[in-house]
Parts: sequence; C-alpha cells; structure tokens
Amino acid sequence: MDQPALPKNSGTKLFLQTIIARAYPRVIGQHREKSWLFFEVLLPFLAVSAYVFVYRAIGAPEEYVGFVVIGGAMVAFWLNILWSMSSQLYWEKEQGNLALYIMAPNSMIAVLLGMALGGLLATTIRAFVVIVLGSFLFQVSYAVNDFSRLIIIMILTMIALYGMGMMTSSFFLLLSREAWHLANLAQEPVYLVSGFYFPVKNLSFWVAIGASIIPLTLGLDAMRQLVFPEGASSGFLPVQTEIHILMLLSVIFLLGAYYLLAYMEKLAIKEGRLTESRR
Amino acid sequence: MSNQTPKTFHPGLINPWLNRLSSLWNSFRIAAWLGWQIESNWTDPFLFATYSIVKPLSGAAILVIMFGVITDGNFNDPIFTYMYIGYAFYIYVTQIMNGIVWAVMDDREHYKTLKYIYTAPVHFPTYLFGRSVAFFIIGSIAVIITLVFGLVFLNVDIVLAQVNWILLVVTVIIGVNMLALMGLIIAGAMLLLVHHMWDLGAAVAGSLFLFCGAVFPLEVLPPAIRWIGYLLPVTYWLELIRRSLVGLIAEAYPTFSNLEDYQLLVILIILTLALAVIAGISFKWCETQARERGFIDMVTNY
Amino acid sequence: MKKYAIQTENLGRIYKIRGGKKSEPTELTALKDVNLEVQPGELFGLLGPNGAGKTTLIKILTTLLAPTSGKAYVSGLDVAQNPGAVRQRINMVSGGEASGYGLLTVRENLWMFSQFYGIPSKQANQKIEELLDIVGLKDRINTKSSDLSTGLRQKMNIVRGFMTDPEVLFLDEPTLGLDVGASREVRKFIRNWVDDNPSRTLMLTTHYMVEADELCDRVAIINKGQVLACDHPENLKHRLQKDVIYRMEVNPLNGFNPEDFERITGVKNVVHIPKDGFTILEMILEEDDALGPVLNLLTGEDIHILNLQKREPTLEDVFVDLVGRSMSEVEDSDESAE
Repeated sequence: MDQPALPKNSGTKLFLQTIIARAYPRVIGQHREKSWLFFEVLLPFLAVSAYVFVYRAIGAPEEYVGFVVIGGAMVAFWLNILWSMSSQLYWEKEQGNLALYIMAPNSMIAVLLGMALGGLLATTIRAFVVIVLGSFLFQVSYAVNDFSRLIIIMILTMIALYGMGMMTSSFFLLLSREAWHLANLAQEPVYLVSGFYFPVKNLSFWVAIGASIIPLTLGLDAMRQLVFPEGASSGFLPVQTEIHILMLLSVIFLLGAYYLLAYMEKLAIKEGRLTESRR
Repeated sequence: MSNQTPKTFHPGLINPWLNRLSSLWNSFRIAAWLGWQIESNWTDPFLFATYSIVKPLSGAAILVIMFGVITDGNFNDPIFTYMYIGYAFYIYVTQIMNGIVWAVMDDREHYKTLKYIYTAPVHFPTYLFGRSVAFFIIGSIAVIITLVFGLVFLNVDIVLAQVNWILLVVTVIIGVNMLALMGLIIAGAMLLLVHHMWDLGAAVAGSLFLFCGAVFPLEVLPPAIRWIGYLLPVTYWLELIRRSLVGLIAEAYPTFSNLEDYQLLVILIILTLALAVIAGISFKWCETQARERGFIDMVTNY
Repeated sequence: MKKYAIQTENLGRIYKIRGGKKSEPTELTALKDVNLEVQPGELFGLLGPNGAGKTTLIKILTTLLAPTSGKAYVSGLDVAQNPGAVRQRINMVSGGEASGYGLLTVRENLWMFSQFYGIPSKQANQKIEELLDIVGLKDRINTKSSDLSTGLRQKMNIVRGFMTDPEVLFLDEPTLGLDVGASREVRKFIRNWVDDNPSRTLMLTTHYMVEADELCDRVAIINKGQVLACDHPENLKHRLQKDVIYRMEVNPLNGFNPEDFERITGVKNVVHIPKDGFTILEMILEEDDALGPVLNLLTGEDIHILNLQKREPTLEDVFVDLVGRSMSEVEDSDESAE
C-alpha cells in the first residue's frame, strides 16, 4: 500500500508560496554575504554623486541636484528589473534551475516576482541611501504638498515597471549569452531617454513620448513635479495625465507578461531552448 | 641504433628568466585568445554593432544633454571638451577593470574552468590580464566611436594636427597597465566573493568616477574628499590624455596647472609602480585566502 | 480507455542545428517513431549509449521539450496540450546536476523547491528530514550545498525529486558521477521507493547495464532515437538463450581484423576490447559447434588463448545482438564521427 499522499496547495496559495520561496535565496544570501551593502549601496551612491558635481561644475540651478538624487535612487529599480529579473532567467538556465522551475506546477510569474522581491530589499536600501545621504550631503530641499498622489505614483510606477520586467523576461527564455549583452545594452540608453539625470522634457517631445513606455520615465517626472518646489515647471506632462498613463501601462504590461510568458515558454519548449547552454 | 634520447638545446634551461618570460607570454597569449573567443561570440553581429555604438554614445549623450540644458547648448565652452574627453576615455577604466574581474566570475561560476586554469602551469595574474585584452579592444572601439561622434557632431575641440601623439600613445600604454593592476586588486577580492558581486569591477569604476576628475575639475569636489583624487593614478592619466589631445584647454584648468606634462608622467609612473606592488600583495593574500577556504572552485549560484 | 502512466505514440523529435558550417547537416533526428507504454507502478528503464535519445525523451515527457511529431502522455495527459496538469504529477532528477543555490543549506534548497509544488512548509520539512535520513544526509542538513561533495550534492538532488511525492518520477542517469558505494545506495533507495509506493511510476535512463538489469521491471533499449526492444530484462536476455556467449582473453591481435570471425558460420557477433597486453573477445555464437572454427582461426593466426569462459547473456549482449556493436563502440564511433 502506498505511503499517504502529501497535501499540496494550488491556486493563490501556490502562487504566494512560490514567490516567497524564490525570494528566499536572495534574501538569505544578502543576510549571509553582507558585502553587498558596500558594493551595491555605497559605491553606486558615489557614482550618482559624480553627476551632482557635474551640474555644480557647469553652474546648474540647485534643483538639478535634487533631480539627480531622485533619478539616481530610481536607477536601482531599473537595475533590479534588468539583472534580478530579466537576465536572471539566463543565469538560471545556465545553472539548470530554469528547467526545474518550468517543470514545477507553479507560475513563472510567481517565480519572477519572487526574484524581484528578493532583490527588492537591496534595491530599496540602495534607493533609500541615495535619497537620504544625497539629500543630506547636497542640501536638497523638498516641498511635497500632495503625499497621496506621490504614493499613488510610486505604487503605479512599481507595478508597471515590474510588469514590464516580467514581460521582457519572457524574451530571455529564448536567449543565450546575448541575454547578458541585451541587458547590458539596456542600461545607458534607458538612463538617457528616461531622464534619470535631467528632466525628460529636455528631449524632443516624440522622444519623450516614446520613452514613456518605460514606466520610470513618467514616474520620475511625476515624482519630481510633486516633491520639488520648482518641479512643476520641469514636468513633461501634467501629473494627473501621467498617473492615467501609468495605470494604462500597468494593465498592458501585466496582461502582456501573462500572455507573453506563456507564449515564449511554449516557443522555447518547441525549439528546445529551455535546457540549452550556448555560451 | 643508440638508445639515448637525443639532447635538445633548451635556452630556457640555461636562462631561467627567458623561460619565465616565455611562460608569462604563453599565459597572456592564450588568455587573450580565449577572452576574444568568449567576448566576440555574438550570435548576431548586428546586435554587436548596435551594442558597440549605442552603449557608449548613450552614456556620453547623458552628459551632453545635461550640459546642453544648463548652458543653453553652448558646446564651445572649454569645459565641454574637458568633460567629453574625460568621459570617453573613462570607458577604458570600466571596461578593463570590469574585464579582469568578470574573467574570475565567468570562469569560476559559469564555465567552471577556474580550477583547471588555476592548477595549470600558467601565471594566474597574467592570465587575467590576457583575458581583459578583449575588453580593451571593445573599449577602444567605444572610445573611438565616442570621440569621432563628438568631433563630428558636437564640436569637441580636438585639432588632429595639434595632438601630441607620442604623449597620447605613451599615456594610453601606461594607463592600460595601470587599469589592469587596479582590476587585479578587485579580482583578488572577487576570489572571495559570491556570484552576485559579478559587476564589482563596474561598481568600483563607477565610484572612482566621482574622485578622478573625469568629467569635472577636482576643485569642484569639497576639500574633505578632494585629496582622494590626488592619490588616484587615474586622475593623472586622464589629465595627460586631455593634455595630449587638447593641450591648451586642459592646461586652462587649475587642477594641475602647476605641473608640466613630464612631471605628470613621472607621477603617473610612480603611482602605477606603487599600484603594482599593492596589487601583487593584495592579490597574493586574497588568493591564499581563497585556497585555504576552498573558494577557488566554489559555485555559489547566488 | 486504459490509463498508462507514460505512453508515447510515434513520438519524434528533430533538432535544428544552428550556426553550423554549410557542409554540415542542419537537422538532427534525436527520436524517431518511439512507441512506449508504461504501466502505473512500474520501474521502467531506458537503456542506451550516449546520444541515443534518452534525455530527449525525458525532456519531452517532463514538458521541457515539445515533440516534432507524434504524441506523449503522462498520467493520461497530453504533455504538449496540458503541460500544467502534467507538472503537478511529475518530478525529475538529472545526473551530474549543479542546480540549486550554493549559498543555501541542504534543507533550504529542498524547502524552496518543495514550495514550488505547493507543499505546506511543515509537511515539507518533515518529508525532507525523513528522506535525508534514508539517504544518509541528515547530518548535513544545515550544510551549505556549495560545501557538499559531488556525491552528496547528487543525493540532495535525488531527495528533491522524491520529496514532492510525484505520481511519475523521471530519473535521468541519477548515478552519473557517483562512486560505487553511493550508486549502490541510490539504487537501493529507488527500488525501495517503488516497492513502498506501488501506484507510483518511475522512469529511469541509464547507460549502465547493471543498473537497468538490477532495478527495472522492464527495459527499453534505445539507439539513435529508436526503441529496438522493450521487455523484462530476463525476457530480453532469453532472446539470446538459444545463443551461446563466450568470453575469451587472447594475445593482442596484431593487425588481425576481428570482423573476420563474423564470416564463420554460426558466429553472430564479435566485440573486441583491446587491453594492455591482451585483447578481450566477446562472442555470440548460434551454437557451441561454432567455437571450433573460431579456435582454428585463432591458432592459424598465431593468436594464443589466455582464458576462455562461457557465460550467461547480459543486457550488453542483447544490445550487441540488436545493434551489432557494443555500447562503448557505438559511443566511440559517434565521437569520431563528430
């Protein structure tokens, strides 16, 4: 007679279990290997500070220092998407873990969310340090008069951004070493067009509109408008418009992630790319 | 027929230094070949071309737009040329330093060959230098593209007839060695760290960006941290690059206005030699630690 | 309709080879018209040389790879149409795996994977401890997996496969890289699991004859993507019962072509294995009488016999009978063709 069957959750419970389980290695790793505090938090802060001094060297108004601080903080989230989510699947494939994830009855979306969540601790600390230290050292002053809209903007930006991250991750199911190069390629151009270090309205209108597909573009722009006294004058679109666009992007990206992940997984299975190792 | 093995003349047996040099060259040569095979292994050449052009130009464009916004597009201001050249050549800093560090991570965690290379009769630091050659080549492509773009479209004030080519070549050669030594220090640390730190080289290069006067004169920094810049060989290297390319513009800024080119060169060489000693000691220590703790072949997957 | 644990119908898989030279083939047929039926509760073996298609078949059945033709079912579910439902019922362990996270302990790695199957933490931890105890790894439960030896890491991975209590479990060369003692322990564990859970099915791929012979209820012999025979190991060996198998140790052949033996009436197959200072000849003869001409030929070529013994057929002999060459010869010739 068989041994008694193990109970197994499904549906939402399985979804949540998967997120927590996949976040676990990253969280525990950060606890066990604390060098990231120096290399992933302090060093990037120094890199961001360089842009502050560029503005000071060319005599920029002080509000631009604030722009750099906020933008530099948000860089952390973009890098979390690129390296802890999208191209992470490439590393998982190389190590043989991707096959185990696909083969399990969980959802790839849950696995990706777990990856992102696991890296979110370090990301949030990095962003926090940049803002707090940057604001203190560079004497940045804020004037937030609408906290509720600021919170809404931040939440919508994160939802849309991580939805986008999941969607782009699906392409990485098909890729090999070019995955690393693509992720690398997506750093500076996004810093440029999303206006991490300057208000995006200084780009041409159509470039800025095109860049708005990246949720951080509008998210950053709206945040700057809401937290700085002179923020509104440097805004690309009115905050309310940006909120609506971010809501739309959230829906599009989340749905896109759902369908694209399923489609790409099927395609990768058909072409035998899930377990290949082509470095 | 004689059973004796015919004697073969081995000059290395007579001169151990020749033997040693030959071994070092062998390590370097094979590593350079391997590094190029790995880094040039793009499935799509078009993607490689895009990567080589878009990535460096995007980084430069950030500075260009920042400058343009504040100065209303006054790219004739000498500080723009100062900034642009500094940024362009800083690409070498990131590429070479990161290349050496990346070789440790790639071999250890991805290809799992580090243990075989380490136990082979190759000079490991020289092997790492060789692996960074590919990054130097890729970096050179990026630097040239950035400079040409600036020259053609942004009025970067380089007059080719006035470039001090000898100073430029000598400075680049010393600089590449200097950067490789800096990379070696970080590579040593990498032997003791987990996979997650794979971009340590880039992170360190990014932080040095603040201190070495790459895109603004050191005088812009508060005195409390300005002194760090004076200790970094990269600072002197970038200044010499600027002087060789745009002599008068570079000398218009106060940072090293009291020093002649040859004095800067001497300081750079002394600092590079000091770096060589530091790199040798630190790498040796890290390597010993890694061997004692069994990290040479560890696979952290994290 | 009878529900098989695993069923394939004319299953085929062709790989497209990308980036090769123009003179090289652009397609590789990994599987061709594979028809298998595995009953629930069977320990089914897939035996074949490297490159035979065993792993490709496993990948299709575990929903990691789509077939290019034919159908495959696990627990009555189409692997291509219902992968999600299939995944709830299966698990897989591959030999020589480096998967998992080095920074996590054995328990943490296993717990993490248990969560992907929806097992509540409490039950998962109990199961983990129970299985680690069985495989002899319980004292290393809090060791980081990067600190484990290859054999222990493989044991951890084996526990990962079993702990989710799958209806159908796939083991792809599970003892690859393990020493003799560890391999024996793993085989014992596998057999006990199947015996203790009669409704659970296990498909095992291996190129070790002993493993297939010792463990499996039925074995399919596969070569170059095709199943050549499928039956109980004893029945497969009985195919050769009418034949006679001799193992000879002789002097080095010194240029003599062993294929010349096959021209002798009654000699079905000869496998020669050069060794240091001598050669082993494994011969399948239709009858004892065929031995005489063989010995005469050896004498005529001045090749001395050092040892001669008659033995019972093994699965290796069955393979040789089906393919015409030993498994190692097939692998060697595939390598030189590459």
